[in-house]
Amino acid sequence: MSQVEKKAGLLRRTSSSKKPLKEKVVLMYDEIFAKEDPAKNNPRFWDELFLMKVNLEYLESKLESVDGEEVQRIQDNINSLFHHCVQALGEEHQIKVVNALQTLCALFRGVHQKNKSASGFDIINMLMGFDKAEQRMKDLMERLDSLLCGDSSESLKSLCLKLLLCLVTVTDNISQNTILEYVMINSIFEAILQILSDVSSRGQHGYDAVVLLALLVNYRKYESVNPYIVKLSIVDDEPTLDGMGVVVHQALTEYNRQYKDKEEENQGGFFSTLTSMVGSMFIADVDEKLSVQTNEAILLALYEAVHLNRNFITVLAQSHPEIDIATTPTTPTPTTPTTPLGTTPPSLDMMNNPELPLDPNLQTSNLLITFLKYASIVIQDTKDEHRLNSARLCLIILTCIAEDQYADAFLHDDNMNFRVNLHRMPMRHRKKAVDKNIPSRPLVCAVLDLMVEFIVTHMMKDFPMDLYLRCVQIIHKLLCYQKKCRIRLHYTWRELWSALINLLKFLLSNETTLLAKHNIFHLALLVVNLFNMFITYGDTFLPTSNSYDELYYEIVRMHQVFDNLYCMVLRVSTNTGQWKEAASKVTHALVNVRAIINHFNPKIESYAAVNHISQLSEEQVLEVVRSNYDTLTLKLQDGLDQFERYSEQPKEAAFFKELVRSISLNVRKNVSLNTLSQDVLLKEFSTIS
Amino acid sequence: MADAEVSLSPALRPLHLSPSHSAQPPPPASSSSPTTFSCPSSPSSASSSSSSSSSSSCSESSSDCPAHHHHHHHHHHHHHHPRPQLQLPPPSHSEQPSSPSASPRSSSPSGSIGSTGSLGSSSASEGIGSSGMSSGGDPRGPSPPLDVISEDAMEMDLGVDQVIDPEVALKACQEVLLKVKLLDNKQQQDDKQQQQQYADVTEPRPTPRPESSSPSSSKQSWLLRLFESKLFDVSMAISYLYKSKEPGVQAYIGNRLFSFPDSEVDFYLPQLLNMYVHMDTEVGDAIRPYLIHRCRGSITFSLLTAWLLGAYSSDMHISTQRHSRGTKLRKLILSDELKPPAPPSDAPRSVFMSPSRRTHQRSKSDATMVSSGPGAGLRRTGSNPKVEAVHEEVRVMFTPERLRPQREFVKSLLCIGKRLATLPTKEQKTQRLISELSLLNHKLPARVWLPTAEHQHHVCRVPHTQAVVLNSKDKAPYIIYVEVLECDSFETSPVPIRIPETRIRSARSAENLDCGAAANANSGGSMTSEHRAGSFSTVPNYDNDDEAWATDDIGQLQVEAEAQTSSSDNISQFSVDSITSLESKEPVFIAAGDIRRRLSENLAHTPTTFRRDPEDPSAVALKEPWEEKVRRIREGSPYGHLPNWRLLSVIVKCGDDLRQELLAYQVLRQLQSIWQQERVPLWIKPYKILVMSSDSGMIEPVLNAVSLHQVRKQSQLSLLDYFLQEHGSFTTEAFLTAQRNFVQSCAGYSLICYLLQVKDRHNGNILLDSEGHIIHIDFGFILSSSPRNLGFETSAFKLTSEFVDVMGGLDGDMFIYYKMLMLQGLIAARKHMEKVLQIVEIMQQGSHLPCFHGSSTIRGLKERFHMSLTEEQLQLLVEQLVDGSMRSITTKLYDSFQYVTNGIM
Repeated sequence: MSQVEKKAGLLRRTSSSKKPLKEKVVLMYDEIFAKEDPAKNNPRFWDELFLMKVNLEYLESKLESVDGEEVQRIQDNINSLFHHCVQALGEEHQIKVVNALQTLCALFRGVHQKNKSASGFDIINMLMGFDKAEQRMKDLMERLDSLLCGDSSESLKSLCLKLLLCLVTVTDNISQNTILEYVMINSIFEAILQILSDVSSRGQHGYDAVVLLALLVNYRKYESVNPYIVKLSIVDDEPTLDGMGVVVHQALTEYNRQYKDKEEENQGGFFSTLTSMVGSMFIADVDEKLSVQTNEAILLALYEAVHLNRNFITVLAQSHPEIDIATTPTTPTPTTPTTPLGTTPPSLDMMNNPELPLDPNLQTSNLLITFLKYASIVIQDTKDEHRLNSARLCLIILTCIAEDQYADAFLHDDNMNFRVNLHRMPMRHRKKAVDKNIPSRPLVCAVLDLMVEFIVTHMMKDFPMDLYLRCVQIIHKLLCYQKKCRIRLHYTWRELWSALINLLKFLLSNETTLLAKHNIFHLALLVVNLFNMFITYGDTFLPTSNSYDELYYEIVRMHQVFDNLYCMVLRVSTNTGQWKEAASKVTHALVNVRAIINHFNPKIESYAAVNHISQLSEEQVLEVVRSNYDTLTLKLQDGLDQFERYSEQPKEAAFFKELVRSISLNVRKNVSLNTLSQDVLLKEFSTIS
Repeated sequence: MADAEVSLSPALRPLHLSPSHSAQPPPPASSSSPTTFSCPSSPSSASSSSSSSSSSSCSESSSDCPAHHHHHHHHHHHHHHPRPQLQLPPPSHSEQPSSPSASPRSSSPSGSIGSTGSLGSSSASEGIGSSGMSSGGDPRGPSPPLDVISEDAMEMDLGVDQVIDPEVALKACQEVLLKVKLLDNKQQQDDKQQQQQYADVTEPRPTPRPESSSPSSSKQSWLLRLFESKLFDVSMAISYLYKSKEPGVQAYIGNRLFSFPDSEVDFYLPQLLNMYVHMDTEVGDAIRPYLIHRCRGSITFSLLTAWLLGAYSSDMHISTQRHSRGTKLRKLILSDELKPPAPPSDAPRSVFMSPSRRTHQRSKSDATMVSSGPGAGLRRTGSNPKVEAVHEEVRVMFTPERLRPQREFVKSLLCIGKRLATLPTKEQKTQRLISELSLLNHKLPARVWLPTAEHQHHVCRVPHTQAVVLNSKDKAPYIIYVEVLECDSFETSPVPIRIPETRIRSARSAENLDCGAAANANSGGSMTSEHRAGSFSTVPNYDNDDEAWATDDIGQLQVEAEAQTSSSDNISQFSVDSITSLESKEPVFIAAGDIRRRLSENLAHTPTTFRRDPEDPSAVALKEPWEEKVRRIREGSPYGHLPNWRLLSVIVKCGDDLRQELLAYQVLRQLQSIWQQERVPLWIKPYKILVMSSDSGMIEPVLNAVSLHQVRKQSQLSLLDYFLQEHGSFTTEAFLTAQRNFVQSCAGYSLICYLLQVKDRHNGNILLDSEGHIIHIDFGFILSSSPRNLGFETSAFKLTSEFVDVMGGLDGDMFIYYKMLMLQGLIAARKHMEKVLQIVEIMQQGSHLPCFHGSSTIRGLKERFHMSLTEEQLQLLVEQLVDGSMRSITTKLYDSFQYVTNGIM
């Protein structure tokens, strides 16, 4: 993409240099880069400048080409240009506003490109001058805020957001972008919220607004008090939160839909689909390259909302029919923010409009379902670094959800049943599940399915240990909730048990290779403790008495895996080495499992011997299990139902820093592509005014 | 009359009622038809004569306007339309020309709803008081003397051109009696019976029994006295209104309606409105003022009236319907011009309120302008209750559209039902229902209410996940639970402030502490329980977002504080789990057998809930005991902590005509009160019906009840075994109580089924409540209609051997008790037959409902009361009916027919 961009830039540059006559605007730029005050001879200079169509390439290249000493010389003029840009934003003449916005973009970008190594303060000085910077930025932010909140044209609002996105992403590391300090002081948070709360503006600018918010929240997140974090965490206005949810929902739905289309297109050649999709999956036709990372921006926004705002959790369960919400009639209904809550008659947008479209084939969906489907696609393939990060982020979000009481409440709500069609990787050993037969169940079943799916599909050499840990922890958190609230979920736990046992088996057989990179004992401990949860607390959350018998059956049936695991951890823990302690924890955790195996195996064998049966049926084994419980004593283990709560800092800080960096790079690229080189916008205004 | 109706609409006109204005063409002569026994409604005029046109046009509006604006107009008109024949006794207060036209209606406070019974008297006295009339102090009891009535009528009846002159009325009544007698012998018989009744009860009065031979004067006085008597109740009024062809009597009764308590008249609202829609002009004219008056006073009444008018007009041909009086009145009501009058004494306020419609609208836009100021602030600051409160006040003052919120609320509920009907499976329907309702929640709380409820309230939240689609083959009726906050008056009390969903998530903080403590316990290793308790206040924040939450407002903290104490249960349980192993360093052992045993015990101990069945989603929801559901929903609701929180439920039906259901409800209610009055312990449960149009409405669900079909399908037990399972063995008190309840309800419904010829009695239409009562639902086939006219179900009522088993068998005492109850019930019902017949008969007027098919509906109904039989013969009849139903194989056959066609067991 950057190639395309450069090419376009080069072409224009050469063509403009070939021309003997320079554009008027270019001449005026040249005047700015001269020593003199351009307004000295022409008092209407600035007025005229903003009537000219902006030549971004020229302006930017000019800024880039300024060398060190020249900077001092022309700084006054640049400051003046910045100042007049800000002032022009207040003009009634929309053309001037548009030009000023674009010029500001060029200024931010040009100055940063020139001074990649320079400190933020130097950049501020060059753009605005230290002494005036605070006032200038205050004015700028106020103007942008009123443009965004007022009833200016939608294109103008869009451009304002692009400018902000451009400003936020001029540095690779957002926290090094010192100008944002002023954006912290002069908050545009409220403007972003307003965009999200209004149906029509959300449709047009929601995506940019959400991405902008996600980025701003990540500015110096760990070092200072970021007002955007504080504000986001206390938003409780439901239309606004819903609006945010809708934007995320829409983006994820679109991704899912395109994935499905592609998949159907390439029936049979699955891997070709995958590879081609890495590049072009997400955004439609025009900008193919937006793809994966733009997702991450939306995912990041979802994460921040879930993590920071307790009220957002309700949005996850807010039902939407699966539709492209952008296409629904967007009657302007700005009444919601102006009329106080509770007094709005229940009509307006919801009841007067034909509401939800009537299509019996549409499944009702909600953000959580869409997110689960999305996650099921993303976690399929984690070889690619971006996708690994996406998968990690998905699991982090799920971790936050699984920890939240309210979310758990609706995940387990027996009255909210859904069919969730998760994507499943076709594998040699299993047929692709028939979608139609998925029963309608509480949402937590889909979460568990997703976890099981991940567990069975990622046992590979390049072992994603981190993802496995998160996965097992999510299951653990859900079990803790069920135990605490005595919820007896009708879930086929057997699938989970056998997936977990297979995981242990994989760890065993790849011990040496895995140990080189990972602490497999930690994972093994978590897995064994899941079994301990079932064994000691099964009475509080298992759905039937039979399921407890089946648990024993499964353990006894796969006893060899546990035996081998025990041998292995015993061996490691008796040796001295770095894994000694970790391994010995696993040996302790295995107490009950071993007790079960040692208790029942002889019983089953003797039963077979007495009855002269070589191969016992499942029912027969279950019978033996049932009749021999009373002679088995188990040990109550500590802390099985306790877990460490998720916290971003310090564990995840590095991950998020990297993530935000890559999102910044991506957004920066796309901002430049999307708008600034397009004349559509200017054309629109030239016809208006 | 048409013009008179139109002229009523400009509600707040008086300020502009200058002479020039009244130069408008006077209403056509029809309104001044000689049949109107009206006197000019302006007591303010010293002369006893007035023009009917003036009264019809301006008096209509008078009830809206403060009186003093009004009388000019009257004076203006007096001269040219003298109608000397309309004599009016010179009002004693006529020396006060300016005030008396203040009708009591206009001065009565708007929130008259709920103050049942007080309206008539209070408004009258207010009218008297406010106008400073000397004649005041006559407290109007339930049966005021006639002259007082006429006076009252004069005062309050400015809305119409008809006020009764007692002499005229007297004469009219006399004529009525004569005519009635001459015309219809049978009718007269009825009258006689009634008279007998009345006479029976009016014993103390030495009223001579009206013989046909007696002089007419005595008859007159009898009727007059009847009208005056304490026994003249709403039922009689309705009956005379319907039967009397005499405009004078009709008009008199129209006026008398004002003196009855609202709640009593409300019961007969369907009858009143059906008469209004389908009977001749005079009846309509007589009722109209009362309807208008009530509409002004109450939003609920307005909407109920509008809905019923629409429903009862629907049987007319479309062309007549459009111009019918019912349709016009409906439009008038829905135009929302019938507003309560401005409070009289509040000078600045009334200035605000009184301007014409246009200025009113302007002031409304002012209001929105005003509100946009703080509104912007609101957006910035998030939800600020203070600002909202201000807004609320602004809104109340301007009362922009009274009816709209409720209409929209109902409309959206009905629309949901319509959309659900297009979805193929129950599961999809339920899912869609939940998602649609969650959208509805966004607009709540609002000034909306459930019309089925007893108390005033605002709806604050719909716990959407609790809603379920009910069993129906092609329609999609559904039941919703609605959280409401009770209030003094839903019309004037401020709408509750919205509380975000997540406010209930108080548990999170507790949970935080939980896990914090746990983490500490883990790392610290030896943490005593005191430490743990202490740590509640000092647990560090784990995330910086905790800090942010702390800035949330106080209201939430309070909620959290409450919840924290309530969730202490969890905490202690948690503590036990870990303390046991912490304090004793020695390992704790448990037997695997114990775990397994606890599991099966826990599973067995869960109360007898029904299995979740995607094909029958309502079974589980309806089986859950109401108390438990209330508790559960309250716990999960952000409003649950408020003391005035209540849970209601309602069934929304789309595509079903509920008019028959309403009729059945009325008959059931009537019979229920008859049985209560006669102290017969029959038990029936009439459930409220709201007719919203001819194909939609709402039903009040029967709580704690599931259908026999669901009982059987879920429990797989016989009915008797189910009773034993639910209530205990034969000798327990619980069982005996349930059995008695069963018998009493069976007897009640057997009689109902027989009298009303209720058909389609399969197990899906009979509910069993948690106390053992059966309750019949679905009165889609009654009187002259039966399902698909198949020959099934010929028995008088449904009495299966299962029922008899629960009653203890054919020879048991309870079965004898059952038959005895039926006999007593029938005798009691017979005694008051007229009250039952009347309800049905009036509704037959103009109706195309299938239950009125044919010509013999009323006759048949009447015959089933067996007036001619002696009590011994009646007993025999009951025996026969029971016997017939027992032996009837058709009931059984019908059940299997239902099973084959609808899957109902």
